[in-house]
Amino acid sequence: MKGTLVAVLAMALWLPASAQGPGKAASQAPRKPAPPTKPAANKSSAPRTPWGDPDLQGVWNDATSTPLQRPTGVGAKDVLTDEEAADFQAQLANDLSRDRRDGGADADVNRAYNEHWMDARRLKITGDHRTSLIVDPQDGRIPPLVPLSPEREKARTARAGANARFNAGLPETYRDMSLPVQCIIRTDSPPYLPTIYNNDFQIFQSPGYVVIAPEMIHSARTIPLDRRPHLGRNLHQWLGDSRGHWEGDTLIVETTNFRTDDGVIFQNANPGTFKITERFTRVDATTLNYEFTVEDPQTWTKPWTAIIPWTKIDPKEQMYEYACHEDNYDIVHFLTGARKREASETSR
Amino acid sequence: MLSALLAMAVPIAAQFPAYRPVRMADGHPNLNGVWQALVTADFDLQDHEAKPGPHPEVMGAYGGEHAGQSVVEGGEIPYQPWALEKKKQNFAKRTTVDVSSDKKWHELGDPEFKCYMPGVPRATYMPFPFSIVQGSSPYILFSYEFASATRIVRMDWKGEAPTPSWMGWSRGRWEGDTLVIDVSGFREETWLDRAGDFHSDELHVVERYTPVSPYHLMYEATIEDPKIYTRPWKISFPLYRRVEKNVQLLEFKCVPFTEDLLYERFSKQGGSK
Amino acid sequence: MRPIATLVLVLATGAMPLRAHHAFAAEFDAKKPIKIRGTVSRMEWINPHAWIHVDVTKPDGTVEEWMIEAGTPNTLLRRGFTRDSLKAGTEVIVDGYQSKDGSLRANGRDITLPNGQTLFLGNADSDAPGGEKSK
Repeated sequence: MKGTLVAVLAMALWLPASAQGPGKAASQAPRKPAPPTKPAANKSSAPRTPWGDPDLQGVWNDATSTPLQRPTGVGAKDVLTDEEAADFQAQLANDLSRDRRDGGADADVNRAYNEHWMDARRLKITGDHRTSLIVDPQDGRIPPLVPLSPEREKARTARAGANARFNAGLPETYRDMSLPVQCIIRTDSPPYLPTIYNNDFQIFQSPGYVVIAPEMIHSARTIPLDRRPHLGRNLHQWLGDSRGHWEGDTLIVETTNFRTDDGVIFQNANPGTFKITERFTRVDATTLNYEFTVEDPQTWTKPWTAIIPWTKIDPKEQMYEYACHEDNYDIVHFLTGARKREASETSR
Repeated sequence: MLSALLAMAVPIAAQFPAYRPVRMADGHPNLNGVWQALVTADFDLQDHEAKPGPHPEVMGAYGGEHAGQSVVEGGEIPYQPWALEKKKQNFAKRTTVDVSSDKKWHELGDPEFKCYMPGVPRATYMPFPFSIVQGSSPYILFSYEFASATRIVRMDWKGEAPTPSWMGWSRGRWEGDTLVIDVSGFREETWLDRAGDFHSDELHVVERYTPVSPYHLMYEATIEDPKIYTRPWKISFPLYRRVEKNVQLLEFKCVPFTEDLLYERFSKQGGSK
Repeated sequence: MRPIATLVLVLATGAMPLRAHHAFAAEFDAKKPIKIRGTVSRMEWINPHAWIHVDVTKPDGTVEEWMIEAGTPNTLLRRGFTRDSLKAGTEVIVDGYQSKDGSLRANGRDITLPNGQTLFLGNADSDAPGGEKSK
């Protein structure tokens, strides 16, 4: 049972948008979670760029072990006491650890490659001791799903079939592989969620713009602040089209025009009705609060919001190029490996 | 200080009157914006006639490559004789790919053809816009529409590249009103154009971006690689500011355009698609 | 079992199918554990996976060329390692799981030097690992 548990957990770890995010350093005293979506007071305390915008520039890391969704085992508690938080963090670190050797081979094969290949910050819960990154709804969980239309149900079934073939090691074509495996997008498509490594984002600013460059996969998201309209309806982009403005110290970003080739976007949502709003607020010299709200009446019964703290890591640490497609041997390994196994099956 | 005065007083390109650029708070020129080269150097850095592209029997005029004059000072790239032969082999196989063997993964095909990041200086003269994001941090971002490639210019950074990369490791500094970027630590697999021009892992590029009008940057790059060329050589051409209303970089995520080409041969024949 | 421990079960089963990075079990076979000892011929310091090439000399004198999948070098760079940190000719012991199709490829579960030291463990410099650093 425990082996299966760990195996299932380990599988879930490989889902970048899932709860089991990597760790973050808790470098300040625990505090209550920030209340959702109130515009900041007019009086600004954040450092400013020379042209007067709040300064978010630098290299930031968002790794944490705090899960996206609140585990039901902790009841309705949204924030833990210091002692509970220490237990929570220890338990998560133990379950996420890639250095464990228990649980049998099935668990073991998924734990490659050891902790030191992972972001060390992924084993720390957030400094405010929340039990979930989701702060709304109050239960800390993704709201219930609405029934899918027949078209979307069909698309979801097709995607599930592709995933099953891939997980069995028998993908039929490169199309059976997910967008991250194909090196098209990884953590760079909003909302940004912690993952097992390379949880780094570099923020650049210039008069009238904020530009966010995630490490994976080497892209840059330009956010104009001049209130220009979004791109026309017929222009779709993998990273969407972003527009931002400041409210006090908070950068508010709205992103539309998402592209999909298989009918779904983030969390199986419907691109035509999906909306995402992100808020970036610098809290102190080394912390930025990243908050996102997503809604899609054709996917969830109500909107949901999460807050993830980001920690500044430069100049000591830097972000590095993450080329992906250029050396993506994996795709060929998966496909040729599948063909080899099929051939040996049929030759029996 | 003297060099700064000289840079301001003497126009880099003779056709521009002396220009004092708008400045950032730190006193350096404001290079922010969307820029694009109009030369056809991505087809071929040297003189080239118009020609059909790959598979004209399918592509007709769509695939054609238009003519251009060399952007290389002196006209020709000073290859070592063996390297000139390698260039010709590159060109002959520029649209051939074979990723069946990890060891030979990069042996064939123009990296641009495969949607690999183009490296520097090629990214500058690809027929796509790019943006410069210059703020008040010790970093300047160059964001290229092609393949969503990016590179971070680390201002006043000392030391060697800590790791090889496709876009190289960029160290920036100001010389008067010129942004000088010293780039090394390249992956050897990038090409300089579709003509098969190439380099080794010892490639070293020094770029100079000089504002000469509100709408033009003059671009120069000195390229050296003792394994490949007999001496350093230089390219130069203007960069034009894109001034369309609400202009922005759009996406050219071309990986999906290459997947059939690279991977379809490994698919299960007759499987569900 | 403390109540908090049940959280991970719920987390795992409650997670929705999202954009998945690949699960190792898709490619590597839990029923084919390997333990090899050989010499590093080269390390490919690349993304999305670094690869450590290990030559294993068999008792009959033939040499098998194994390819060991490792993680992202970007993590190691932030710990102070570089691609020169693992030199060709270094002897290593690899515990891992072999590719399902039987190729000489494995994911490197544990990579150690003959003296028992784990490869790339800790930081190249003496700073504390991750997290608490930059202010």
